[in-house]
Amino acid sequence: MTHNFSLTGKTILVTGGSSGIGRQTAVTLAKLGAKLIITGRNTEQLQETLSLLPENGHLSTSFDLVKTAQLPELVAGLPPLCGLAHCAGIWKPCPVKFLKEQALQNLMHLNFVAPVMLTAELLRQKKLLPGSSLVYISSVAAQHPYKGGSAYSASKAALEAFSKTLALEYAGKNIRANCIAPAMVKTPIFDDTLNTVSEQFMQAHVSAYPLRVGVPDDVAYAVAYLLSDASGWITGSVLRLDGGLTVGS
Amino acid sequence: MEKDIFLQQIRDQFEETDSALITFDTFFKQLEEWSSMHALLLIALIDAEYNVPVTGEDLQKCLTVEDLYNTVKSRVG
Repeated sequence: MTHNFSLTGKTILVTGGSSGIGRQTAVTLAKLGAKLIITGRNTEQLQETLSLLPENGHLSTSFDLVKTAQLPELVAGLPPLCGLAHCAGIWKPCPVKFLKEQALQNLMHLNFVAPVMLTAELLRQKKLLPGSSLVYISSVAAQHPYKGGSAYSASKAALEAFSKTLALEYAGKNIRANCIAPAMVKTPIFDDTLNTVSEQFMQAHVSAYPLRVGVPDDVAYAVAYLLSDASGWITGSVLRLDGGLTVGS
Repeated sequence: MEKDIFLQQIRDQFEETDSALITFDTFFKQLEEWSSMHALLLIALIDAEYNVPVTGEDLQKCLTVEDLYNTVKSRVG
């Protein structure tokens, strides 16, 4: 029974693997037996992630997902996959009245267009084996927006709708698609937030969590579950990880 | 950068406060209308108009509009 939770024998593509949730996801998936291909923008940081993994022939490719025109080439170089953990993303708060088209497009491009085009290319090149599982990191903000987060919340809501559509289109091939929607997780984005708002504001936010704010491993374990055969009946879902933050709302 | 234009830009972010009440000596975080939303608005305003980063911690340190003006001015270079 427990072997269903193992990722041994599975080859998984991890995006955003150079830091934060992506890096911890890589470490956790590798410990559970997966063989990984990790992408990220920063070559040095990717190497650092690789050095944290137990040896299993893992690979890394420095690639900026924003460069969607180069996706066919990236995907052509990949072996057949059993899953995707899409962790790449950016966060930049901006009140609606200061939104600029270019900044909005940049955010939508990385948070929404890039994962969609990556997935489309994986399907076109038949890189996803039957039984594959695709996991996209969304955010609790997709359903529970906050002031200044219009672009970010919208990009994640779009990603969730995409994932659900994908789940419908590929159920026949036993390929599953799900999202994970975390609330505040202590990552470099957490530090950015601290710099943008005040420490007082963050303390108030942190104290609103019935359990606690998240750590990257909280997300990584959920990704591992959704990639494993143990979650074989779950598709088109959004798994909320929020330490109880939105339970009473 | 024009000091008077800066003042007007700050005034524009406080829609419920009489503009005449906001001067360079105003302790802007003590305005009745002040909220966490205004912190976001000021940061975005300065980013949009002056293309310089100002953090929440910077705002903590600035007490008056004059303080904020001086912080931005020192970064515009």
